[in-house]
Amino acid sequence: MAKHNSRLNNVRYKYPLPIHPVETTLPLPELLPHNPFSWIYWFYKYYRLVYSNNEDNLLETKITIDVIGGDSFPHIMVRDKNDMLYLWENGFFGTGTLSRSEPTWYTRMNQIVNGDITLNTGDINELEQITRRRRLERLEFKKLREKLQMELLELKKQSALSGSDIDSNGGLDETESLKRINDLLLKQREQLRDFKALQESYNKQNIGIHDNVMDNLKFDYESLLDENGDLLSLESLELMPVEATFLSFALPVLNITPRELFRKILPNNDNSSYDTVHSFIIHYVAYHFYRSHGWCVRSGIKFGCDYLLYKRGPPFHHAEFCINVMDNDPLYYRSNKNMHDYTWYSRISRVIGGAKKTLILSYVTRQTTKKQIMEWWIKGQYHKVFNSYEISEIIYKRWVPGRNRD
Amino acid sequence: MSKLTDQKDLSSLSSNHKSKKKNGLMRNDDNDSGDDLVKGTLDIEYEEDELEKDWSEVIKLNKKNLQMIIPKRGEKDYEPDGTDIQELLLYKARKAMFDALSNSVRGTTVKHQVKAVYDFDKHKALVLNPKGAFLQTMGHITNNGEFWLDFMEFLYLAERGTITPYCLKSNSMNLNQLLPSIDDHNLLPLSIEDIYAFFKTQREIDEFSVYSHLKRLGFIITKVEDDDNDNNKITFSPKVGPFKSICGYQLHSLFKQITSLFVSHKNNLFNGLFYNPSHYKYIKYTSTPQIYNNLKLLIPHVEVPKTLLELQHRKQSYLLNKNKNHSNNPLKLTFNVWKPQTNYKKKIPELPDYQIVVYNKNDNKQHFPTNDDLKNIFDSLNYKFEFLDKSKKNAGTINWDDHSYINGIPRSAILSKNQKKKITNSQSETINNIKEEKRKTLRKQPSSSVSSSTPAHIKQIKRLKNGYRSFILAVMDNGIISFIKISEADFGSEDVWYVPTVQAKKIKKPQYQYKKRNIMKQSNTDQKV
Repeated sequence: MAKHNSRLNNVRYKYPLPIHPVETTLPLPELLPHNPFSWIYWFYKYYRLVYSNNEDNLLETKITIDVIGGDSFPHIMVRDKNDMLYLWENGFFGTGTLSRSEPTWYTRMNQIVNGDITLNTGDINELEQITRRRRLERLEFKKLREKLQMELLELKKQSALSGSDIDSNGGLDETESLKRINDLLLKQREQLRDFKALQESYNKQNIGIHDNVMDNLKFDYESLLDENGDLLSLESLELMPVEATFLSFALPVLNITPRELFRKILPNNDNSSYDTVHSFIIHYVAYHFYRSHGWCVRSGIKFGCDYLLYKRGPPFHHAEFCINVMDNDPLYYRSNKNMHDYTWYSRISRVIGGAKKTLILSYVTRQTTKKQIMEWWIKGQYHKVFNSYEISEIIYKRWVPGRNRD
Repeated sequence: MSKLTDQKDLSSLSSNHKSKKKNGLMRNDDNDSGDDLVKGTLDIEYEEDELEKDWSEVIKLNKKNLQMIIPKRGEKDYEPDGTDIQELLLYKARKAMFDALSNSVRGTTVKHQVKAVYDFDKHKALVLNPKGAFLQTMGHITNNGEFWLDFMEFLYLAERGTITPYCLKSNSMNLNQLLPSIDDHNLLPLSIEDIYAFFKTQREIDEFSVYSHLKRLGFIITKVEDDDNDNNKITFSPKVGPFKSICGYQLHSLFKQITSLFVSHKNNLFNGLFYNPSHYKYIKYTSTPQIYNNLKLLIPHVEVPKTLLELQHRKQSYLLNKNKNHSNNPLKLTFNVWKPQTNYKKKIPELPDYQIVVYNKNDNKQHFPTNDDLKNIFDSLNYKFEFLDKSKKNAGTINWDDHSYINGIPRSAILSKNQKKKITNSQSETINNIKEEKRKTLRKQPSSSVSSSTPAHIKQIKRLKNGYRSFILAVMDNGIISFIKISEADFGSEDVWYVPTVQAKKIKKPQYQYKKRNIMKQSNTDQKV
């Protein structure tokens, strides 16, 4: 099952970026460095293959976004059902507003309304379903554990009673009852472990615990259908500002210019002073940096940091790194008010350590004057702006002396 | 809480341990379902040093065999369950602890007593007739043969009961004058409280807390001396004549400046083209890595030294610029730390395994190190850079004895010289040394064989997780110590984008199916609309 899934995933998430390479169906001829004729032939072939057809890297139609919520709380929304899926499947951008992260509301609802699961038999293991199943499993496990603990307590009470009349009738002595308690404990552990293994094997065979939550759900479907009886697509995909910037500035995917986008998502951008753009710039610099080295970067708010780094994407690996963007502007950290003290560092590091991830502090340093930055910013030369920030990184990890002795 | 300790109990723990490891492999399947059994073992694994010893076994050990390892206690009960049996176990455990403490022999016999006399002026202590195991790792001998302990060593050993602390009866007396005729009449015994009163600063108290904590765990610790008196200090970068090093450094930095100017200029030009949305009309990309390679030119990152040569360069330029940098950074390296070992040589130690910076969280004059502070500390480091052993450029392991210098002479040369002297003295010593050497190579071998067989992407993740130069920050908060390892990371030199393997490219079938399915999907929806 897992193998089947991973193959499907490999196909579904074939491209890590929404800009696809031009497909060359025929292989290029061999390039021999010492033979200039092979070069010419190679370039000829290359030209023929790549440039003769009209295909290029750009999308046929760019993706339209809505910015709602006004100046103070801008939300960047993608409404179109296919666009939402496209952004998710090509780089895992955005979060479905009615789902955990992948916009799955439509398919889930379709299954309930139409009983239609033929559409995507491969996607039975949707994240939401997996979570639900895990919770049920956990509940069952807890029930069993509680039952066993009661048994153990019962035995303890008994042995204490008999222990008190050792003298009178020479009943169970202390070591005897201890032994019995220990035996029971071991047996119970074995039982719990077996139960867990059983649950896992169910999981692998994909025999779901029958969830009757959805069956019992009764509400007015009619309001969700259009005049043809088809399900309306109510969900939209929300992009983080840095994601939207990446998709308009770095890759021409969204149907909006960077300048227009910044006007909408940054407050008071017209009379812009450096302070209004500073925080956004350093966060984008970090986002772009990790994206451009191949990481799938998603919000890290659930772990108390700025970004999570996934290798390839959430369906493939757990995120192993948490990025906290650190403002390394000298003016910023010299004022004591803005300086984090050790408690702050300790807090995030323990949260992240508890999730078995590695905390990276990513210091972003401005290399030129604020005036220069603003000049470029107003002219719209954003590549010069972002290019004048430098990143340096620190790994922050708890150290336990006893584990580092040999 | 009561402890259930039993041979079986222990064995169940270890089997539990194994099942936990299995779970670790299958992390994808059950991420957030860590049940309490697993959690329990996780804690044990993680906080091993914090786990208490089983006192009921200590008494037996006292009488019989001190070489044996004291067994660990069993598991804790979750809560008081009101049963007598739990009460009984709890009582027994408590009694065992008190028995173990009250039965132990304390104090020193007069024959083995080592007296140390505190000198107020020097803030050190003189050991009158030095003997004992502590001589191997602590204290120093002056040219006229006196054995002195630093204040921290003095207090630590006094607390342990290894030495008996004294001071002179009157301040007017001079230790040096009295030395030949010193006896109990001139000496005043000190209590532990007395010695604590001799601390000069809060910083010294903080440092002592860290020192004694690590010392008790078996580490070997010395204070980091200032770089100024470089002599007789071990370093990984041999001292170069001032002229040569200045020239080398300045040429290097000039070269760097010129190239960086050139690179940044080129990048700007290039980025201007690349981020022009219409450039995709003229340039076509035939693979995703091509796009990534262009994207990653936008944000520059700080290069981190990764080879021995680069490290030496950094250190030398740090030493040259030190006076400029030294401004107002209160954080600097405090301790050299070696892992517990038997072949430590006090006079010519190896490079330390770790270096520690002590930082008091509640001191208003100090602040958590900023990026610049960290850089400064990284450049001043002088230890066994463990990442060099793992990097592929230096295949196998580095022999640090060849790459650490005292007064410009490699340590290995000094060692072999000393050994030659010793051979005439005693042959058993050399045999011991050979044994030691063998043990070392045995210990090192598995790691190197593993590194050669691990696939590249796992090595990469390890590099990213472990980082490069590192030090330990010991944070003090009202007597509570937290240790943090801070290392340099370099994500900018690693690319992790997915490149489909050749096999995947050749098998075009699934791709075809996918397209078909997509079309089906679309046609389905079309019909509905």
